[in-house]
This record gives sequence, C-alpha cells and structure tokens, in this order.
Amino acid sequence: MSGCPFLAKKHQLFTSKHLTDEDDDAQKGINRASKGGIVYGDYLELNKVLDAQVLQSELKGNKIHDEHLFIITHQAYELWFKQILWELDSVRELFINDGMRDERNMLKVVSRIHRITMIFRLLVDQFAVLETMTAMDFYDFREYLTPASGFQSLQFRLLENKIGVVDSLRVPYNRRHYRDNFQGLDSKAILKSEQEPTLLKLVEQWLERTPGLETDGFDFWGKFEANVDQALKCEKQKIEKMPESETKQEMLEDLSKQTELFTSLFDSKRHEHLLSKGDRRLSFKALQGALMINFYREEPRFQVPFQLLTSLMEIDTLMTKWRYNHVCMVHRMIGSKAGTGGSSGYHYLRSTVSDRYKVFVDLFNLATYLVPRSWIPKLNPNIHKFLYTAECYDSSYSSSSSCSSCSSEDSE
Amino acid sequence: MSGCPYFAKRDIRHQQKDEEERDDSQDGTNKASKGGIIYGDYLQLDKVVTAQVLQSELKGNKIHDEHLFIVTHQAYELWFKQILWELDSVREIFISGHVRDERNMLKVNTRIHRIVMIFRLLVDQFNVLETMTALDFFDFREYLTPASGFQSLQFRLLENKIGVPDNLRVPYNRRHYRDNFRGQDSELLFESEQEPSLIQLVEQWLARTPGLEENGFNFWGKLEVNITKALKMEKEKLERKPESEDKDEHMAEFHKQRDVLTSLFDEKRHDHLVSKGERRLSYKALKGALMIYFYREEPRFQVPFQLLTSLMDIDTLMTKWRYNHV
Repeated sequence: MSGCPFLAKKHQLFTSKHLTDEDDDAQKGINRASKGGIVYGDYLELNKVLDAQVLQSELKGNKIHDEHLFIITHQAYELWFKQILWELDSVRELFINDGMRDERNMLKVVSRIHRITMIFRLLVDQFAVLETMTAMDFYDFREYLTPASGFQSLQFRLLENKIGVVDSLRVPYNRRHYRDNFQGLDSKAILKSEQEPTLLKLVEQWLERTPGLETDGFDFWGKFEANVDQALKCEKQKIEKMPESETKQEMLEDLSKQTELFTSLFDSKRHEHLLSKGDRRLSFKALQGALMINFYREEPRFQVPFQLLTSLMEIDTLMTKWRYNHVCMVHRMIGSKAGTGGSSGYHYLRSTVSDRYKVFVDLFNLATYLVPRSWIPKLNPNIHKFLYTAECYDSSYSSSSSCSSCSSEDSE
Repeated sequence: MSGCPYFAKRDIRHQQKDEEERDDSQDGTNKASKGGIIYGDYLQLDKVVTAQVLQSELKGNKIHDEHLFIVTHQAYELWFKQILWELDSVREIFISGHVRDERNMLKVNTRIHRIVMIFRLLVDQFNVLETMTALDFFDFREYLTPASGFQSLQFRLLENKIGVPDNLRVPYNRRHYRDNFRGQDSELLFESEQEPSLIQLVEQWLARTPGLEENGFNFWGKLEVNITKALKMEKEKLERKPESEDKDEHMAEFHKQRDVLTSLFDEKRHDHLVSKGERRLSYKALKGALMIYFYREEPRFQVPFQLLTSLMDIDTLMTKWRYNHV
C-alpha cells in the first residue's frame, strides 16, 4: 500500500470531493454530450429491465419477500431463452441459405450450438437458486399468481418447436392443444415455428448429403452391410467349430441376437415403420450419414461435423435434465397439487421427461450399432479424396452461391 | 403409446383445429373469463424481452455476438437486483433490532445463504460469455464506448452495502469511483456509503454474543488464562526433553505459536491493525466470532455459525467473480 502512487494524493482526492459533487449535478448534460456515446445503463436499457419487478402479493396488500426471487428467476430464464432463440435462428438460417454446402460455416454453426449447450448448463444450475425458497414460503404467495403458468411461456414453446419437438408426440393436458394457451400474434408465432424448417429437419437434410454415401461413389452403406454380413458369418463358423458346451450355446444365442439387430438396421421398411410411429425421427439416409460421421470422425472433413452431432445430443440431454430439475422442484413446492395452469402439475411435468421430447434420439441410438473397427469399410485417402475439404467448385455445389458470397456471414 | 387415453381422441383434437382459427376473434374473452394475470404480463416480458438493442446494428454493422454480450450483462444486473433485495432485507432485520429475537436468525441465515447461491451462479455465468472469442468481441467493441462496467450502479451499491470500505478501493483514472455517476444515482451511492453496512451490523451483533460478559461467563478472560497456562506447561515439557536438533526446532515452533496467541490478547495491536485496514471488526466483535467458532455445536450458536460461514462464502465468491472477470 505504501508504494501506491495514488495514495500520496489521497488528501487531494478527498478534499475535492465536495466541490465536484455540487458542480457535477449542474454539468449533468454537458458531460455526456462532451463524451458522446452511450452509458452502461442506457446501453442495457436497465430502466426497463430493472423496473419490471412487481410483486402480486404486494399489489394485493400482503407483500411476501420471496416473490421477488420467483420473479427474477423466471425473468432470467426468459432472457436466456431469448439468447438461445437468437443463436438457434442464426444456425437455422445458415442451413436454410445453402444447406451448409459452404463448409467454412461449420465452425460458426458448431460454436453457436455449443454456446446453446453452455447456456442450458447455466439454466439447469439456476434451479439451485430458486430451491433456496421453501415450500412454505412459496405457499404464502402462490395464490396471487393464478392463472399465470409456465404453459404460457411463448419463448419456451418456440424453442421446443424450432429445435424439433414433434407436436403429435407432446403430452396433452387438460385435453387442450398446447397452442391454445396463446392468442393473436403469439399464437401465430407458435404456428410459424411449427411449420418452418426445424433444426432437426435441416440437420436431416444435411446428413443425407454426407460425402461417401453415394451408391455410385464410395457407397458406405453397401460396403458396411457386406462387411457386417461377412463378419457375422465368420463369427458363426468360429463358434460352431467349438466343442459343445453351455458357453457355446450362450455365444450362439448372443450372436443370433446381434445378427437380428443388424438385420433390422439394414431394413429400410422397418425404419419407415418406426418413423411413422415416432420412434425414429431421422430419414434412413440421414441415419446412414450420421453413422458414417461417427465411424470416420477422425477424418479431417468429418471432425467438426462430429462435434456438431455430439453437441446436438448434448442439447437433448440438458433439456431433459432441465425438465427433470423442474419436476423435482415443483414436487417439493406443491407436492401433488394441481398447477396454476390447470394441469396435474407434478404428474404432467414428470411425463415430459421422456424420449418423446428427445429430438435427436436417433443419434443416441446409434450407439446400439457400434462395431469393432475391423468391420468398418476401409478408406484410402489417395482414392477417397472427399475425406479432406470439399472442393468449392465441384459439381455437388451450386456454383452461383459459392466461396465469395460465403464470406458475407451477416446474412442472419 | 398404445395405452395412452388421449391417443384415441387425437383425431378429435385435429378436427377441432379448424375451430381454433376462429378462436383468434375470441382474444379478449378468454383472458377476461379467467380473470387474473398471465405469465407474460406477470413478468413484464414486454419490457424485459424487448430491451436488447445492438449498437452494432444501429450503426449499420450488425455483429451477431453483441446480443450475447447484452443478455449476459442484463442477466447479471437482474441478479444484482435480487442480491440487493435480500441484502437490504437482512440489514433491515439488524437495523430494526429484530435480530435480537433469535427466531429471526433462520431467516437471516437463509437469505445470506441465498446470496451465496446467486453468486455461485454468477461465477458460472462467465463460462457462457467465454464462448465469445476475442476476435468476435473486437468486431463490435468500438460501438460500446464509453459504456463501462464502472457505471454499474447496482454493483457499487452491492459492494458498499456488504461493506467494502471506500478508502481501500483501488483508485483509477485519479477519480473517485462515485464520479461515474450523476444525480439520483450518485445520491443513492452516497447513501449506501453512509448507512450501516452488513459488516457493521454483524460487528455490533457479534459484540453482543452471549458469554462475553465479563461479569458473566467471561469467555475472553477464561480463554486467556487457559492459553497462558497451557503454553507454560508446553514450554516446561519441551525444556525437560534432552538436547537435540529436533528440540531446537520444536522450541522455535513453540515460540512462534506463543507469539501468535499472545498477540491475540493484545488489544492495542488489534486497534492498530484496524486503523491500517488490515482488520475490519472491532476487538469485541472478534471475541464474539471466536466464541461462536469454539462453541458452534451448542444449539444457540449453530445457526450463527452457519451465518459466519456464509459471510465468508460471499467474500470467496466475490473474489472468484472478480478473478473470472479479469
């Protein structure tokens, strides 16, 4: 502290205190004008943001302290929902523009999807703050909230839809469509978000174009099926040569199960059937693309796409954790009582923690079909040039909107 | 899925969809018939969710990442407001004297702990902004001048109300930190320096810790006697040992310990350290704190002990916050 150059001037600092205070008030306008530019509070429109906390309990003449925390927590959630939508829409836009044919945009896409996962991580942790409120304290002001309910959160629904939650798979409640909670412009916005290309749809189309799938090219799927067929045959022969024993029987049974599994993988009719039931969400071709990216993730061209698939699953995982945290907290706060939105509260929420709401469930299920490395079709970089970067001007790209327009990234 | 009771009715819902389109005209009816407030109005989302205006966009060069920058800071300011809400309510409990009713300790402790939980979230929140690269920030930073975190009123109020002393602040630009503010903001800030801060209120409370009374339990007097006696015995034990290198080391350590403990009972030394700013609590308050530490398992001291722990957590987290910021 003794070395501090300002300390010596400490007296000056403080004696001038009174002068500056009086003069400064008069100089209010001048200072800002002479500086030009915007100050912190105005930049962030804090006059709006920090003036939006009105306690219903206080309005009704019975101010409950903890209601402020309830309000702030939800407002923070909505701010972050807006940010997620900002990132999500920009990514969808990049896909919609050129189907991600300019692969230089992949870094941006992956960064923004990853950012969304970082935000979701924060939102999952945020429950711990609201959980410092006890059920008893919540009870004291809950009556003043009806009929407000999270069911009326426009941004949350937009988020679900734009990622790709399927309407027909939603859990109904009160025998009403979830969109019935909204009117006018809000309702229109939600309808739009159901109809416009979702992240799931856009990723599906992108996956279908994974280099290496072309049947007249590398023909990954054809080669893969042949390899798996042969490998399973070999396995069977090997086991059958063994002397009879219980182990041998077990091994034969396991092999039989495995064979069945892979037969179903290559069965496109079965896939279509599961698609119609809602058990699968991606097209058969897209699934092939995803499996290819997984197997060849270390090839330069697939490294970032692989990161994208990982981040997409991360979004699903975190949304599930969010839903689960929400369920646990609600259970603690209201037990088995009905929600302010009229639903069964805890029971409804619990039913949403399921694969119905998992958008990229197919990516998770790919792990079912992992195989030993030796079964994967071999690649030869000298022959299979597509493993490195795409050539901008080859026939698989629309030549008009190629590299030069790619650099103008502010098309969002 | 086949067992789902609503599944069968799915077609009916879709038939009703046509009727939904006619619902738009029923806009007003629905809300009025329900009565009461809906989510978006309750949270004044029309204010909160429309407060994001990108300077880069205004200046004709919209930079994507500026939105994240804005939302992050707004989230921080929302939570600062919440911390101030909790902090002021706790200070009020102390100021009004209600803290003397020990039934209020649970509330005080819960709210201070809540502040700790919020700070934890705020420290983690840096991870989100860190997804922005320096290159992306560079693209819009020029549009922000002269806005700066130095102008965050709530942050300063927070610091002052917890108890950051003005004269220990690091000056910058040879200006007082309050010079960044004008008018009402400046007055509010000045008030927050004048009114009792959390540390001052806790100090007064600690000084009243039961058991300190000299004509009562006289904790301090007894402690000094015990320590003096125990040190004397330690010394005698050590001196009886045969000469050795170990013994010399042990004697040196013993002297160190003795000096530390002896200084504890030197009130003049304490006051000197307070004037230098190296200690903040009064001598009596320090005694109270030590008493609560030693007897923390006594029912009456359990929650007070938790409070002291939470107060330290606040300091730790604010330090982490500052470090992350840096």
